[in-house]
Amino acid sequence: MQAGAIDPVTVNFEAGLTVLGQSGEYLAWSDKNLELQPRIAESWKPNGDASVWTFKIRQGVKFHDGTPLTAEDVAASINLHADPDNGSNALSVFGPVLKKGAAQATDDQTVKVELEAPNGNFPYLVSSDNYNLIILPKTYDGDWEKTFIGTGPWKLDKYTPEVSVTYTKNPDYWDTSRQPIADTSEITFYAEEPAKVLGLQGGEVDIINNFSVVGGKALLTDPTILVLEVESSAHRQIHMRTDMPPFNDKRVRQAMALLIDRDALVAGLWEDKASLGNDSPLAPVFPSTDTSVEQRVLDVAQAKQLLADAGAENIEVELRLWDGFEMPDLAAVIKNQAQAADISVQLNVTDAGTYYGDAVFGKSPWLDSSFGITEYGHRGVPNVLLDAPLTSKGVWNSAHFKNKTYDGLVADYVAALDLQTQKKTSSKIQELLLDEVPIIFAYFYFHLGATKENVTGVEKTGMGHIDLTKTGFTG
Amino acid sequence: MRRFLLRRLALALVTLFLLSIIVFLLAQVLPGDVARRILGPFADQRAVTALNKELGADRPLVVRYGTWVGGFVQGDLGESASTRQPVWEVIKPALFNSAKLAALAFVLVVPLGILGGVIAALREGRLTDRLISIGGLSATATPEFVWAVVVILVLALWLKILPVTAAFPAGSGPLVQIRYLLLPAICLVFVLFGYIARMARAGTIEALGADYTRTAILKGLSQRKVLTHHVLRNSLLPTIAVIATQAGYLIGGLVVLEVIFNYQGIGQVVFRAAEQKDFPLLQSAVLLVGLVYLLATLAADILYSILNPRIRLQGES
Repeated sequence: MQAGAIDPVTVNFEAGLTVLGQSGEYLAWSDKNLELQPRIAESWKPNGDASVWTFKIRQGVKFHDGTPLTAEDVAASINLHADPDNGSNALSVFGPVLKKGAAQATDDQTVKVELEAPNGNFPYLVSSDNYNLIILPKTYDGDWEKTFIGTGPWKLDKYTPEVSVTYTKNPDYWDTSRQPIADTSEITFYAEEPAKVLGLQGGEVDIINNFSVVGGKALLTDPTILVLEVESSAHRQIHMRTDMPPFNDKRVRQAMALLIDRDALVAGLWEDKASLGNDSPLAPVFPSTDTSVEQRVLDVAQAKQLLADAGAENIEVELRLWDGFEMPDLAAVIKNQAQAADISVQLNVTDAGTYYGDAVFGKSPWLDSSFGITEYGHRGVPNVLLDAPLTSKGVWNSAHFKNKTYDGLVADYVAALDLQTQKKTSSKIQELLLDEVPIIFAYFYFHLGATKENVTGVEKTGMGHIDLTKTGFTG
Repeated sequence: MRRFLLRRLALALVTLFLLSIIVFLLAQVLPGDVARRILGPFADQRAVTALNKELGADRPLVVRYGTWVGGFVQGDLGESASTRQPVWEVIKPALFNSAKLAALAFVLVVPLGILGGVIAALREGRLTDRLISIGGLSATATPEFVWAVVVILVLALWLKILPVTAAFPAGSGPLVQIRYLLLPAICLVFVLFGYIARMARAGTIEALGADYTRTAILKGLSQRKVLTHHVLRNSLLPTIAVIATQAGYLIGGLVVLEVIFNYQGIGQVVFRAAEQKDFPLLQSAVLLVGLVYLLATLAADILYSILNPRIRLQGES
């Protein structure tokens, strides 16, 4: 894992969230099936329109320093991330949902959270999916790396920044069924993937929490390695600016989407460790996704017809991306496949800093380019993915897609309290995006991890969390 | 000698000052905003603004440079923007780690390189010479990451005689540490052997053909004495310069090897700091690597002048 500062407020990388999840704990745990398991919260319930949520807080839970956890600690933790002055990474989720001071402890066991708008999936937003949100003491004022304070099953033994962290099991952990089997565990940080893969193959570590198909192909065929795969909603977005040529005509966007051979991408780039995308962020893994919506497939003839209808001939367009993961390979495939309809794609591959720029409109190739590829990580619910990259006011709307019907459907989806209502709205959203195609979603790749063959009991999630409480060795 | 030394030191200080300006300005042209780089592209803009303010990244360029240099000369390198640790606490163990790897590589490659060069010179034009010269050159021309892959595959994964990483467990004794550092050190031997052997060979051939060597042979001295007392002392002067300048490379330039072997050296610190736009860390780390280069060159100059008084006298005149 690659490390940086491990601070619950600012962590935005997988190694950081893995570490947070060992000694820290969330109100609920979003498991590999995207179901919420109660942890610090025993239960939760919304008011009539899901604009106020009430959480019943578990009693008898202690922080590692022996202090009992209270409802006030929970409210303070939520408010810590909701306050813009604290610069929390969780603001990207909380931004439109919560205001500073939205959480209140109404008694010793109850926390009430008032939202800015109805939100049927709110418990996911305070679960391990919003990975910054471990519950901290209300007195917490920074320097988490000194103590790794939390209520989780592992306690900090020794931490060497950028190198490793060792843990001992927490004998006072409240959930006796999840007391760690091992007495100690150690996490080693790796700066780059090749070293990590070699570390596992060479026996330096027993588990790696993630690897990519591009960088860890050797692990897929190594008989001494067990590959752990979890279906996720992580993907790449291929945006097309809907407000400027050549993609301001939706027929050109549809043609571009029809030229992409998704099956070949899933097989070639991902060794089948991915599921097909259908040009909406509603991945097959989400329970609310309507999987009966017709799948878009490669159709060069139809693409050519659409381009002819649009009067778009010999299109030349620049595709921007940064040099990471499998994205340069994906771009090369797009370039080749677009040639089938005489679309000339010029690749402009830069480093991540150049691609994202200041990450605001007008100062970012990501948000300003007419055609680009961007990486998006897993989310346990599609709320953020439906909103930020696609709604009219979305801060990540690189396609500059503005559609009032779509905005209304997203508001309906977010407010929906039950799965059936969500599914109905999902279906409409999927059909709309399949027709408008502001963004091509070609695939959703699995989250991959690996262990030595004698390791058992490792539980992973699509977000990248790893639960080592049941981990042991055979033989 | 004193004047010579003072002049060299003064030049080194001027170079260091210029380096500080270059490093600072180059760090600023790296694309992207500091807080945005740390928090990521998907972070809320309010969070980015708050962090930039906290880090002081919103202050004018001149003020930031003044604060950094002012702190640097007083020994306060500031705080890392990404890890929030004092910069010196990040750099110190990394420099120490790099020095350990460099020392091991030196211990292996210097005698091997000199020995190879001298043997090649003594067998000039013969098969041994060709083998050492062409073999050494080929090894040097092969990038270090290729050697890393080869040695990892052969020695760590197939034969399983050395660990795949250089990151030795905390609290390891010297022998265990050496065992962990051997693989990257072997890569460095491959990379540096050609340079050193070539310089040693050229110097030895020149010294072997010199008048003083012929005189020594005609005086009736044994071949061993001629070699150790007359040939080597003169032939190794350029070799020492090459070795000294490699010290800077070994301590600051091993980014690729450190990454592959997951070794926390200064090269990896610089790489990571550049990636994360961690200015306080990047600037100080690069400046310290520059300082190491300067000290190594200075040491080479001094050694050279001790061994060859002509240089010293030229410097004084």
